[in-house]
Amino acid sequence: MIELTNVTKKFGNKTAVNNFSLHIEKGSLTMFIGPSGCGKTTTLRMINRLTPFDNGNIIVNGTPINDIDPVKLRRNIGYVIQEIGLFPHLTVFENIAIVPRLLKWDQKKIVHRVEEIIELVTLDQSFVQKYPLELSGGERQRVGLARALAAEPEILLMDEPFGAIDPINRLKLQDSFLEIQEEIKKTIVFVTHDINEAIKMGDKIAIIDKGNLIQYDDVSQILSNPANEFVENLLGQDRNIKALSLKKAKDYVLKDGFITVLDTETHETIEKKMKDKNIEIAFALDKNNHLKSRFVLEKATSNKRQKFIHNPAPWTIERQNNINETLSKMLEIGENQLPVVNRKKEFVGIIKLSNIFEEVKKKHIISEGKN
Amino acid sequence: MNILSYYINNFARIISALQVHVLIFLVALTFSIVIGMAISIFVTQKDRKKIGRIILSIMGAAQSVPSLVIIALVFAFVGIGIKPAVIALVVYGLVPIIFNTTSGILSVRPNIIEAGIGMGLTQNQLLWRVKIPIALPVIMGGIRSSATIIIGSATVAAVIGGGGLGDFIFIGLRMQKPEMLMSGAITVSLLAIIVDYIMAKIEKKVVSKGLQIKKT
Repeated sequence: MIELTNVTKKFGNKTAVNNFSLHIEKGSLTMFIGPSGCGKTTTLRMINRLTPFDNGNIIVNGTPINDIDPVKLRRNIGYVIQEIGLFPHLTVFENIAIVPRLLKWDQKKIVHRVEEIIELVTLDQSFVQKYPLELSGGERQRVGLARALAAEPEILLMDEPFGAIDPINRLKLQDSFLEIQEEIKKTIVFVTHDINEAIKMGDKIAIIDKGNLIQYDDVSQILSNPANEFVENLLGQDRNIKALSLKKAKDYVLKDGFITVLDTETHETIEKKMKDKNIEIAFALDKNNHLKSRFVLEKATSNKRQKFIHNPAPWTIERQNNINETLSKMLEIGENQLPVVNRKKEFVGIIKLSNIFEEVKKKHIISEGKN
Repeated sequence: MNILSYYINNFARIISALQVHVLIFLVALTFSIVIGMAISIFVTQKDRKKIGRIILSIMGAAQSVPSLVIIALVFAFVGIGIKPAVIALVVYGLVPIIFNTTSGILSVRPNIIEAGIGMGLTQNQLLWRVKIPIALPVIMGGIRSSATIIIGSATVAAVIGGGGLGDFIFIGLRMQKPEMLMSGAITVSLLAIIVDYIMAKIEKKVVSKGLQIKKT
């Protein structure tokens, strides 16, 4: 889809981009990450010819970009920058309609498209008549994305699009952006300086330092096999924990080690069942499979009698939850196992702290440390 | 009461002087706008930003030159009559228009321009659809002060044969007829106030609502 071959760019004596070769696959989300001034933005801007390159070649969709008129090229590539750059004198509608109008779409098609795209970025239709200054940062960001997607480009270039958003809203925007990408499957190049964002969002990550492409690989590969010390430092001491964010609760759901009972059964029968089967945990479900309560049979110890505990509103984990959020929840509430539910709140199984460790070890997500 | 009776007795003369004054004003302002905008657009094009900044400082300094100096200069080079008067007014009226238009266009935020180019706008589209509309409040401010300056300076231009309401003031001065002087001065002042009011209305109308929102 996008092919960079031996691309070099110099600003005066300084080499901004040194001999880059990179193949970006169709429909993938590729993150460019590195310290500021490393050349990641320059590389991005070379793809839509905002910055000319000195040597090498860039091919988009089979055509060298230097053979395409830059204006035409840019109209077919969505572009989102950090401060978004919405036009303050135009309404949201007019902002989104810019490229379709440049491409001379007819008005009916434009109106329809704007409606569709507003829906996609989860804004209310009433927003179309508002002006950018009337919007919040997050809303502006969504309009910026809508504008970039309006003319249905196959490629989207994003330069730290969430950089100016506060951390809480940034997480929300990342989530909804990932959902949108799941739907639209664009080829996206996304520049960031936030390693967590890169790991969370990317299919692939290109790590760039001082104009050199240090490592370009799948996210899991980068986490388990950092190419050098620079990458290790960039990933941070907690890269094993970061690796967990690639896994979801559903990957660790267990179907045994507990029993399920009906919520209509009496506590006595439940306690008896648990003792008979020598099971410590039971979940009471209603006829729709919804989790109603939890029963725990604590083991007797030398100074404690066996205790039967009924917990009427147990904590649950959503199966889409990523594992580091799940772990964080477990630590927060001091439980080493939690029931897992799907988005309809139906009980699907349990997740155990010990099991996460076992699985992680088995699958070598945690790489062998050097020390 | 002298002024009022002077007004009534010389109503036809005052009206015809007012017409000349308005005509000179309109012609001079039109030329100032067209020439001023053209110069500003030229000096703010890509790669010419340096010239733009130089022009900006020249215009900043030029704003403090008295109108009489310009009028005297034009008189020295072009001579006497209505044409030299208009030329002087155009030159003087250019200053705020060039100053405001140039600074307005140059101060459009770079991220907006970057986004525009990145979306595939040509330089021309960028200028007419983005830069000028966004700079319009500042540009209109320049046109408004140019209008006020031209009306005022047109009075002075009467000394080189511009005609208009300035004649009443200068003749009134020379002949020591305060009522004549005052009627000219009052009419010019009213004209300036009315014109500025109309310009304010136009400004509100042509500037995008999106730029008139007060940030909260």
